[in-house]
Amino acid sequence: MTQAEAPYQETMVVHQPRSWITRYWFSRDHKVIAVQYAVTAIAVGLVALVLSGLMRIQIGFPGLLPFITPDIYYQAVTMHGMIMIIFLLTAFLLGAFGNFCIPLMLGARDMVFPFVNMLSYHIYLLSVLVLMASYFVPGGPTGAGWTLYPPQAILPGTPGVDWGIVTMLLSLIIFVVAFTMGGLNYITTILQARTRGMTLMRMPLTVWGLMMATVLGLLAFPALFVSAVMMLLDKLVGTSFFMPAMVSFGQQLEHSGGSPLLFQHLFWFFGHPEVYIVALPAFGVVSELISVHSRKNIFGYRMMVWALVAIAALSFVVWAHHMYVAGMHPYFGFFFATTTLVIAVPTAIKVYNWVLTLWKANIRLTVPMLFALAFILTFVVGGLSGLFLGNVIIDVPLSDTYFVVAHFHMVMGVAPILVIFGGIYHWYPKLTGRLLNNTLGQLHFWVTFLGTYAIYYPMHYLGFLGVPRRYYANGLESDFYPESAASLNEFITIAALVVGLMQFVFVYNLIVSYFRGKAAGPNPWEATTLEWQTPKTPPIHGNWGDTLPTVHRWAYDYSVPGEEQDFVPQNVERRP
Amino acid sequence: MIGVERQTIQANSQVPETTLETLADDWGSDIATLKGVPWGKAMMWVFLLSDTFIFTCFLVAYMSVRMSTVEPWPNPSEVFALQAFGVSIPLLLIAIMTIILISSSGTMAMAVNMGYQRRKEAATNLILVTALLGATFVGMQAFEWSKLIFDEGVRPWTNPFGAPQFGAVFFMVTGFHGLHVSAGVIYLLTIAFRIRRGKYDESNFEIVEITGLYWHFVDLVWVFIFALFYLW
Amino acid sequence: MTTKEPGQQHPIRIYLVVWGLLFLVSALSYSTDFIDRGFWRWMLILLFMVLKAGFIVAVFMHMRWERFALISAILTPPVLLLVLVGLMTIESDYTRSTRIEHFGDGTRDESMPAAVRETDN
Repeated sequence: MTQAEAPYQETMVVHQPRSWITRYWFSRDHKVIAVQYAVTAIAVGLVALVLSGLMRIQIGFPGLLPFITPDIYYQAVTMHGMIMIIFLLTAFLLGAFGNFCIPLMLGARDMVFPFVNMLSYHIYLLSVLVLMASYFVPGGPTGAGWTLYPPQAILPGTPGVDWGIVTMLLSLIIFVVAFTMGGLNYITTILQARTRGMTLMRMPLTVWGLMMATVLGLLAFPALFVSAVMMLLDKLVGTSFFMPAMVSFGQQLEHSGGSPLLFQHLFWFFGHPEVYIVALPAFGVVSELISVHSRKNIFGYRMMVWALVAIAALSFVVWAHHMYVAGMHPYFGFFFATTTLVIAVPTAIKVYNWVLTLWKANIRLTVPMLFALAFILTFVVGGLSGLFLGNVIIDVPLSDTYFVVAHFHMVMGVAPILVIFGGIYHWYPKLTGRLLNNTLGQLHFWVTFLGTYAIYYPMHYLGFLGVPRRYYANGLESDFYPESAASLNEFITIAALVVGLMQFVFVYNLIVSYFRGKAAGPNPWEATTLEWQTPKTPPIHGNWGDTLPTVHRWAYDYSVPGEEQDFVPQNVERRP
Repeated sequence: MIGVERQTIQANSQVPETTLETLADDWGSDIATLKGVPWGKAMMWVFLLSDTFIFTCFLVAYMSVRMSTVEPWPNPSEVFALQAFGVSIPLLLIAIMTIILISSSGTMAMAVNMGYQRRKEAATNLILVTALLGATFVGMQAFEWSKLIFDEGVRPWTNPFGAPQFGAVFFMVTGFHGLHVSAGVIYLLTIAFRIRRGKYDESNFEIVEITGLYWHFVDLVWVFIFALFYLW
Repeated sequence: MTTKEPGQQHPIRIYLVVWGLLFLVSALSYSTDFIDRGFWRWMLILLFMVLKAGFIVAVFMHMRWERFALISAILTPPVLLLVLVGLMTIESDYTRSTRIEHFGDGTRDESMPAAVRETDN
């Protein structure tokens, strides 16, 4: 009897751990793996947070910490960027939320191949360790910027040119393997292992966001893999894929005939879908949070789904808007600017639908809701600055200035991080049976939200002034640096340090609430989606006990007229 | 409700239809979108899709490097010619390798057929033949590599025939393909021995089809490499 | 106890026929090596390549008998690759033309920038 003939996964053998090692370390339970991803991602994210603090100190108060040399600074820039984007945002949103939410929200017992799922975590952990090894190899980590552009990334003058770039590229290659294993599981589970009654159009938007992000990842990470392999070959073996004929430090190099632009095209063919790999799960989770905490169905569910699909498809044809000033074919700007502005349309539709969901809703200003609202505000601001940058002519003076830094931090750094926080506050009670401390949560929220606004809003002005990004010597001995820029930098640095410190309060909350948090009950937010309807909280292995749930309605039956309660869970039958 | 039930009934029907009408029904149904497709087969197809993107990116890099260099690109017919019977036959080894890989695809397809007929012995033997052919292919590729490296002086960074990227692309593309074939041989052997030991007796032997998909993909990649690198 | 999965099995004949066709088209592909380089040679190479790929995917990989849901899910994404291929073709040609324009064409020495040529190596 094939699995296809037994739609209920009742043939699925549920993992029965025997010892501490198989229960926690080599667990095949998707919930445990989710926590493993979360803990690792947060740990490495805190490293990147500290690095950003060092960077900000150098920018705002140059020379204050003498050990921050240009090398150290550029290494911090690179590691901060790479860790945050790949090893925190992607790993948390897909690894942690994906693993936790997908089987529970679909009424499945686990992912379709739990063993592969377990492997994917350990390979991710390996990639993190290889990256951290950069700090222990001769020369330290690479300082090439997270975009790792050749030829400079593998030439002397850039920090980490001996070993750091190699560990970085190896770490990325290993990460792609891990991501592929996890991603295959997610797609197959979503496509093939839903419970009875769960059609694709009854899935919560969280799952839709995760699904489209997974598709993007499976199709885009290959380009990163290929770029990393070719750059490794250029570095270690002396090939000339990306290396043109050139002179470096007075020496003519052996390389010739390669093209740095080829790397940029391949990298951004990956790089642009990557930002949507981060954004789409965030969109999905936000839809969930807003709906639950405002007791109203998401406005325009169908359009939200199609917008996710459209954004995912379009994200593959916009990549060279990162290359307007790179020297590529002069007519490409026209094509890519057009597609970039087109992709703004489905994104805007989603924003309108979130706002329309809130209209006349019964809003509960819980901590998750606050984070969701903050997401909308910050994402809109970041998206608007993206419209500036998407136009070629306006991009020319703004490229490589702090305007870009402000833009991508708003849309990638602030908005999705706020969603991660919101999601953690939202699902922590399902995972642990306890609520996170509300006072600390409110404190965390307000400081983070207002603080990140204080950091990145003024940064746009720095960009207009023309202050360049990735500069070590900000304000030191430079004629073009106006006084106002220097004082803005000081202000931003102080805000950044305050926000950074507040995150440790959040970590403290996570740990302490596990032991002393208020008991939550099975469904503290009174949500309709399946994960809140498990027989036990926290859910046991196999999630559902003897019988899988049957779904009778979509995920957003809130405030339905004529119903007793203001929510009806998905597995409640319809009245005849 | 009735729509869901109809779709659920269809989920259990075993007659796959290729018509367009099933498209909306399948995507709109509950439980599984890909009807009649075991989980392993779905996962293998998605993996192959991802692998397609990897090889395409490699080939795009090859195209880009070849088109943008001003130095002349070596003629593969001459570089890969072999001396036989006193005559230089262009691409002889490559032609033989192509024949071997296509043969292995044929034996694999038959193994899948034997698997579904539950003829374990025949399936195992055909899989072993496929693996043997695959190993032969890798051996010939290794021979090709050693001939170019030791006899002709082709290196990843330079070669005597033309643009230096020729060697780089050759080693990289055939290297990754060869890795996939080698991994495939190990995979085939593993599956063959598991079938013999009876591990899949409870199933429909769809594992053979899943393995077959991977093996045909390896052949498919070779079709593109053969056409775009060796012939072009 | 033969549990035939209808739709998964077809008479062996079709596989043998396609197998033979693959050998035939491969031979035809190989023979393009003897035509002079030019547009028609390229066209034939591509045509035979697509034919072989089609046979392998449709028959050996069974796509011809799969439901449309699977076909659409697997065969739509590679269309995006055509965009990448197309744009990179244009870009590579542009790179080559800028090299020729700035550094001259043909010989290896001329393709190097003057500064590189003149360094004492």
